[in-house]
Order: sequence, then C-alpha cells, then structure tokens
Amino acid sequence: MFRFILRRLGFMLLTMFLVSVVIFLVSEVAPGDVARHILGQFATDDQVKLLRQQMGLEQPLYVRYFDWLVGNEWRLRNKVDMPLVYTKARPKDEIQWWAEESDGTLVQWKYKTSSGSLEQIRIAPDDSREVVDFEGWKTRDDGSQYFWGVDTAGHVVLWVKNVEGAGSGPAAAGRSLGTSGGQEYYPLKKGLLRGDPGISLRTNRPVGPTLARRLRNSFSLALIAFLLIMPIALALGILAGLREGSALDRSISLFSLITTSVPEFASGVFLILVLSFWLDLLPGASVFVDDTAPLQQPKLIILPVLTLTLAEVGYVARMTRASMVEVMNAPYIRTAILKGLPYRRIVFRHALRNALMAPITVIMLHVNWLVGGIVVVEAVFGYPGLGLYMLDSALFKDVNAIEAGAMVMVALAVGTQLIADIIYTFLNPRIRFT
Amino acid sequence: MSALSGGTKTAEKRPSRLRRLWGGFSIILESRVGTIGLCIIVFWVLVAIFAPLLAPRDPLSQDSDAINKGSSEQYLLGTDQLGRDILSRLIFGTRTILVLAPLSVLASVTVGTILGLTAGYFGGLVDEVVMRLLDAIMAFPTILLYLIIIAAIGPSAVNVVIAITFVGTPGIARLVRSLTLDIRTRDYIRAAQTRGEHPLYIMFVEILPNVRGPLIIDALLRVGYAIFAIGTLGFLGLGLPPPTPDWGGMVAEARKFIWTAPLNVLWPILAITSLVVGLNLFADGLREETTRYQ
Repeated sequence: MFRFILRRLGFMLLTMFLVSVVIFLVSEVAPGDVARHILGQFATDDQVKLLRQQMGLEQPLYVRYFDWLVGNEWRLRNKVDMPLVYTKARPKDEIQWWAEESDGTLVQWKYKTSSGSLEQIRIAPDDSREVVDFEGWKTRDDGSQYFWGVDTAGHVVLWVKNVEGAGSGPAAAGRSLGTSGGQEYYPLKKGLLRGDPGISLRTNRPVGPTLARRLRNSFSLALIAFLLIMPIALALGILAGLREGSALDRSISLFSLITTSVPEFASGVFLILVLSFWLDLLPGASVFVDDTAPLQQPKLIILPVLTLTLAEVGYVARMTRASMVEVMNAPYIRTAILKGLPYRRIVFRHALRNALMAPITVIMLHVNWLVGGIVVVEAVFGYPGLGLYMLDSALFKDVNAIEAGAMVMVALAVGTQLIADIIYTFLNPRIRFT
Repeated sequence: MSALSGGTKTAEKRPSRLRRLWGGFSIILESRVGTIGLCIIVFWVLVAIFAPLLAPRDPLSQDSDAINKGSSEQYLLGTDQLGRDILSRLIFGTRTILVLAPLSVLASVTVGTILGLTAGYFGGLVDEVVMRLLDAIMAFPTILLYLIIIAAIGPSAVNVVIAITFVGTPGIARLVRSLTLDIRTRDYIRAAQTRGEHPLYIMFVEILPNVRGPLIIDALLRVGYAIFAIGTLGFLGLGLPPPTPDWGGMVAEARKFIWTAPLNVLWPILAITSLVVGLNLFADGLREETTRYQ
C-alpha cells in the first residue's frame, strides 16, 4: 500500500514535470509576442526588445525554464556581489527583491533619468527608510563606469554611467515598469520549487497571492456545488435503481441524460435569461468587490452553483443508479428478500453500502469534468476563480500564470485520483486483505 | 457517423451486410429514446445539407437598419448586434459543427487506434512508454488542455479539430489497447504469426476488424462530446474566428446584449442543446439495446 502511494506520487511529479516542460515549449512556438501584446501596435522594436529583456524573454529557453523551476538569485548574486533576498522590507510593504548588506540593511537602486546617476533606497533593520545618492560606480579598463544592482521591480540590472541612449524604459498599458536606464536586465526569480511561481506577465504582479485567492474562490464554489449535488444525485440514483424499469426510473434517467448533455454555457446563460432577466430574482453576474470572500455575498453565487449542479447531478445519479441496479439483482439481496427481511432493512443495511462504493470512486475520478465545468461557469458569470484566471492568462499568453495554474490543476486532478484509489481500497475489503 | 456511412458503401456489394446493417438500425428503432435522438440528428443533418436552400438570407450580410431587432416578417428570429439574420446564421452554423465534430472524432479514432494497436500488440517497452504518455495527457483537466493548445496555436477551424483530436485520442487508444491485449492471445493471431505475416498486417487486417464494434459505439458517443466541446470552445472565444457562424460564439456574442435583445441568446442555446441531447439519446438507446441483445 505504502509503495503504491509512493509510486503514484512519483507519477504525479513526473506528470507535473512533463506538463511544465510542454507548456514552456508550446508557449515558445506559439505565434505572437507577449511584449508586443503589452506595449501595443505602435511601440518601436527597441521598446519591445527592452521589455522582452526586462521580462527575461531574451535568454535561452533552458535558462528560463531552470530559472522558473529553481530560481536564479543564487546565480545572479555573483554579479551584484551581495546576498539577494525576496522579502517584505517593512511589515506593510509588498514583497520585493532586495540586496542585503552585511549589517542587515536592505538596498535597491534607482536610475535618475534627468541626471544619469543612481540613487540608493536603504531600509535599515529598524525599518527606517532613506534615499541617498549613490556613487559606488565601478570602473572598467576603458574608463567607462558601470554598476550591477537590484532595481525596484525585481531585476538585476547593469547600469553604465553617462551612456548614450539610456533613456527611460517603456511604460505601457498604465503600468510603470519601475526600472530604467539599464543596459542588461535579468528578472529575479525564486523558482517554483521554492514556492514562487513568478510575476504575471499580464498584471505585472506576483502570481502566487492572486492564484491562492482565485483557488479559494473556486474551491468554495466547487464545495457548495458538491454539497448540493451529492445528496440530490445519490437520492435520485437510489430511487431510480430500486425501481428499475418503472416510470419513476425512466423519468429520472431521462432527466439525468438530458441535464448532463446540455453544455454548461448553454444552461448558465439560459438561467441568467430566466432568473435574472425575466423574473429579476438574482444578479446575472458574480462580480465581487476586490477581496471579499464569495460566501459574504451568497446571492451572487446562487446561479453559478445552480448551473454546476444541473450539469453534474445527472452524471452522479446515473452512476448510482447503475450500481444500485446491479446490487439489487445480486444473489445475497434475493436471499435477504426470501428470508423475509423488511424491505427498508434490506435497502439500508445490505444494498446501500455496496451500491455506493462504485459511485464514490467514479465521482472522485470525475473531478476533471468538474474542473472543466467550473472554468466555463466562471466564464459565464465572470466569477473570479481559478478557471477564469486560467482562461484570461491563456488568451494573453501569460506563461507564468498558465504554468502555475496548470501545476495546481494537475496536482488536484492526480491527487484526487490517488485519494479515490485509497478510499476504494479501504471501502473494499477484497482489495484490503490481499 | 462517418463509420456508418462507410459501412453502407461496402454493404451495397454484399446484401448480407446490408441486412445486418438494417438489423442494427432496427435495434435503435426499438428504443423509443433512441428513435427520438435519431430523429433530432436526422433533422439537423438535413438542415446542414440543405442550408443554402433553407436559409432566408446570407449569414454574413449585415443590415445596419436592423441591429438587435426582435423577430419580424423580414427576419424570422431577429437580428444580431451587426444586423445579421439569426435564423440564417443558425442554419449555416449547423454545417460548421456537423463537419468539425465528426472530423475530429474520425481523426482521434485514427490516431488512437494506431497507438492502441501498437501498444497492445507489441507490449513491453513500447506499451509502457505510449501508455504513460497517454496517462499524463488524461491526468490533465480536459478544459485546460483545450485552453493551452488553442492559446498556443491560435483559434481556427483546423486547430479546434487538432485540439479535440489530441484530447480524445488517449481514451480511444486505451479502449483499442485493452481489446487488442485480449485478441492477441487468440489462435488465429498465432496462426498468422506462424505464417510469418508482417506485424502491420496482423494489426490492421487480423485485429482491427475485431475491434470495430466497440470502437464504433465509442466513436458515436464521442461525436456528442465533440459537439459539446466545439460549442464550449466557441463560447470561450477559443473556437472559430468571428465571421463564421458558430453556435457557441453566437451565445457569447448575444449574451453581451441580453438586456436589449434577450431572445437572441435563446436560439443558439436551443440549437446546440437539442443537437447534443439528440446525439446522447441516440447513443444511449444504441448502448442499451446492444447490451440487451448480447
């Protein structure tokens, strides 16, 4: 059993590794340039090239992959000659990259376009912040002065003093890139394996916190839907299975077949049309004010939950029915009936336990479908969940966000399969004792 | 569906096959649910074939005087946000979906069969490598695969087919492999091997015909799912590029104008729902009746 779990975990890691490599390769050959996409049609080629460099896209593919996987600050610190740390300088600040001096003071550098010189932002261990002019330039053999430092946007930058063309970098789409004047840029990364999925190319913010919030939102949606689906579906399936071939069975089966056939986007938009537009009962979109948890505005999630329920209930009900029919035709149930046991007792004590075994594992394996349904439902209602995040990122070709989201999804999918196998083993003594 | 029409052609030469085909056909007619499904499918197939005759106007022509108008004598189901006739777009949308769905299923059946036969017949390392790769694909949430594939290669009709083929292949390969593993041990395969037949001959001439039955039923089920997927991709903006009439895309477009033209969203929803439900009813009837006959 233990070896089995280990093997499956190994398979999961292998899958995640393969998937991450494939996504990297695929995003490489994909048409369209994300830097061009951010800057728009009218940016010059130089501006596009600069942004590509700032995003690290000018480096070879394998360098980018390993930077993404294990980080690069341990490699780039040789250039800066100081330890590089990814931290909140003061408790209320955002998490940023800093160089650390021996006494614990955190420093960043900033290029002043007007004077062509550098200034240093220093945060002492006692949280006091000061900005001073920086004169620590190093001199090359040919007399030009240069300096490797960390800028305010998480790059290791090579600045050269008084050089022609050290203009400001492109500031596009309402985002200040927070860095300028450099000759070479290397975006700092801590690496996925060390818990940092990187910066979203689309929003220019760390992927991790956004992903966590989106995952939480999706999870609460899925959980509520699951709690609604299971009792309804099991009840319908058991009722139908107990009376195989009856009118009740036929109508439940037909209902299940039809509801599972209808695509989520169709039923979702249909529900908006009826409940939101014609009857004016519920809001047709789940737009949350930035950070509120979905549970605080229950009205907004009724329609998404309803759509998911409608799409999934039929599948589980059909599974339960099939399993119930099989069990009710088994010899030991006939024996129980012939023994004269009360019907209720036969169903609850003898049939149900065996009948529920198959559906429970099948349902766990069904999680891929549920994820698919959630992506569509989130797109229909504008619900800020993981699925919508993935859709937006994919449409934008935001590699970091896609990679991180894909890793979460694969871990979820393979993980639930593993859990399903374990549950099945514990439910089924025939496997447990062999 | 393509598999069925292929069967008809050979049936003309050998009457016994025609009778067998009719036998299979009457199986479906015995199930009421299956018959209803078949009727819905036939209806949409006829609409697709006779689209130019049925559509009252050009699905792409725009009328700037009638934007998001409700139903009128001129436009039976109203017009969309560009003043295009919704009925005509629906009718031509049938063609898009009824060509792409069987095509992508055919492609994944082809690729899946080849992979499944190879893995099942040769076994060993080949089997291990092919199946582990396919497992990795299957471990992936389907929708995510679609997202990544389409985001990478861009939305177009061919790419939708490629994406659906890619997603559908592992399931078919597994089915074919498991059937092949069983058939491989039969005596007639041993005989062929002793005769010194080429592995390709054994795979495609000896094994493939015996895999056909379950494969056709599986493929039929997959057509329904392919239509489901094409609609969803269209809705998410990953389907066919804009001017092409596409039901999923029509829902996405009309949803933006749900407050001014609420009914516009209803027609494509009804169309795709009826088609998918029809296919599933048909497949379910077929499955039920065939299992009963066995």
